[in-house]
Amino acid sequence: MAHIVLDKVTKSYAGGVTAVDAVDLEIRDGELMVLLGPSGCGKSTTLRMIAGLETISSGDLYIDGERVNEKDPRDRDLAIVFQNYALYPHMNVARNLGFGLKLRRVPPAEIERRVQETARMLGIEALLKRRPAQLSGGQRQRVALGRALVRQPRGFLLDEPLSNLDAQLRTTMRLELIKLHRQLGATIIHVTHDQLEAMTMGERICIMDGGKVVQVGPPADVYRNPASLFVAGFLASPPMNLLPAAVVGSDGGGLAVRVGATTLPLPEEYLQAYAGCRDRSVVLGVRPEDLHEAAPALPQITVAANAVEMVGPEVILVGTPEGLETEASARLSRAFRAEPGDRISLGVDMRQIHLFDPATGLAVPRPDLGFEPHRR
Amino acid sequence: MSALFAPTLAARDRRFGYAMAAPAIVVLAAIILAPVALALATSLFDYTLMNMTFDRFIGFDNFVAALSSSEFANSMVVTTLFVIAVVALEFVIGFVVALMLTTVKRGKNIYYLILLIPLLINPVVVGLIWRMLLHPTLGIVNWLLGGIGVPDIDWLGHPGTAFWTVVLVDIWHQVSFMAVLLTAGLSALPTEPYEAARAEGAGTLQTFWYITLPLMKPVIAVTLLIRLIFAIKTYDLIYIMTRGGPGDATDLISYYIYRSAFARLNLGEAAAMAILLMVIVIVLTLALFRTMRARG
Repeated sequence: MAHIVLDKVTKSYAGGVTAVDAVDLEIRDGELMVLLGPSGCGKSTTLRMIAGLETISSGDLYIDGERVNEKDPRDRDLAIVFQNYALYPHMNVARNLGFGLKLRRVPPAEIERRVQETARMLGIEALLKRRPAQLSGGQRQRVALGRALVRQPRGFLLDEPLSNLDAQLRTTMRLELIKLHRQLGATIIHVTHDQLEAMTMGERICIMDGGKVVQVGPPADVYRNPASLFVAGFLASPPMNLLPAAVVGSDGGGLAVRVGATTLPLPEEYLQAYAGCRDRSVVLGVRPEDLHEAAPALPQITVAANAVEMVGPEVILVGTPEGLETEASARLSRAFRAEPGDRISLGVDMRQIHLFDPATGLAVPRPDLGFEPHRR
Repeated sequence: MSALFAPTLAARDRRFGYAMAAPAIVVLAAIILAPVALALATSLFDYTLMNMTFDRFIGFDNFVAALSSSEFANSMVVTTLFVIAVVALEFVIGFVVALMLTTVKRGKNIYYLILLIPLLINPVVVGLIWRMLLHPTLGIVNWLLGGIGVPDIDWLGHPGTAFWTVVLVDIWHQVSFMAVLLTAGLSALPTEPYEAARAEGAGTLQTFWYITLPLMKPVIAVTLLIRLIFAIKTYDLIYIMTRGGPGDATDLISYYIYRSAFARLNLGEAAAMAILLMVIVIVLTLALFRTMRARG
């Protein structure tokens, strides 16, 4: 198993493009770490540097305490699964699986045994004689995974392995990967641009943007306390509403947030944390599920409905808060009905809000009260 | 309704197709089919340039005469050796050049240009140039070799060297054909298996042996066959450089056929040998087509 440490790892190309910018990251032994970010954020390049397929421009990479910058991929003993599977088109499944072992001069009988074992684990025994061209996308995916598994490497690097699959298959494979990780207890680095995949799979998520690490943490932490506007806007669908606002003083020595025509009082627990924001403009972050219809106990905000999307288990209301140009969405109960143009009063769960500094894009730190049912 | 009209529509389409193809078919028949038919006819008659009439039908006597002649047998052996030597050497050199070219990043077009220059030269000109360069007393090659102490070599005048000289000149002329075709094949290979192989720990030689070679198999087969078919028909180089000599050391089949027809004036026997050669080339061409179809 592998303990992988990236210390200011940087990839820059001739011409001054920096794809990965001083990434510090520690992947613990046996951990499933997800690298998440939009395309071009440097997550795949980071993975390829760990694999040894790209050279590291500066910084150090350690596997189990040993610096491996200059080591060949074969000596790093990590297996990589590519987005396009990269199977050998001229070899059948069995030979695809066994090729890495053959290169390592494993005796043929042992190769045969391990190929059979891996095929059984992935349910592809019946396909061993077929060529990749005769397989479906999901089957190729399994073979690519099997090719990594059969080598019993120190760790697995998965480069968007699910993104070429259809939605249903992706969900199935996601669960299988999680099961496999639990079964093997192996170190896995999984690269994806799919935030749902990251949230459901990762023990920890590392969110990247513009070649830099923006936030690292367990999915729930990152979701509850996004470190920046980028993270807040990237996670979840629909993402957190980000509205221009200002912090003002209120009667009785408290603080309130003014959003357009609405003034929302800040909860007592946050007064100290947000005191520095007084009389300054901020960005107010509210998750769509923290806006509630018919919740008179909560501070109210009025929005003009633009669209009402029925998505099955819930209704997404998209509307413009009074006095603002920016749209906001709310996840409401499936019974909710409204017509475009209706003015709707929504309760805001102020204990779940975030304030961001519009200049730096960073969240203003505040105590974490955790999730709890709001008071209706 | 449409079922009712479909046959007539299809028939009309077919007729229109034939009408469009007819001119080309007529021209091809006139310039290819007719001469071949005439050659076939000639091969069955006692037809010589001394007596240019189809007055005596002799059946397969011309074929029997050709096949029992030791000169024909010799030219078949020489042609076979020439084809094997030329194709094998050009393939090995061409593949090495192609592999090196694929790793070139800058100035690739310049290399292509240099490679293509020999291919653009007419074979007759190639023969003339090399005849001058290899002239035993006046040629620059012997002069240069003399500079490092190598005694003069009679490149084309000695039975033992003439064959290999012609082979070398043919390689100089045609090797870029292989290199260009194989380079095209290499650049069309998928890149993903290479990354996977590298990640799995394959070295350069292992990658070549287990990935490049098997993936290139169809391209290699087609390249070899095309070159083979052309090599069998080599004529110009021999005519210019050796006239089949010294003795019969470079008497390739197409040159021998030419000699039979226009030196020995026996057109009937020459036609019979030409038909035999055509059969061999057709068989190879069919093999080429099958390989190409298997690839698709």
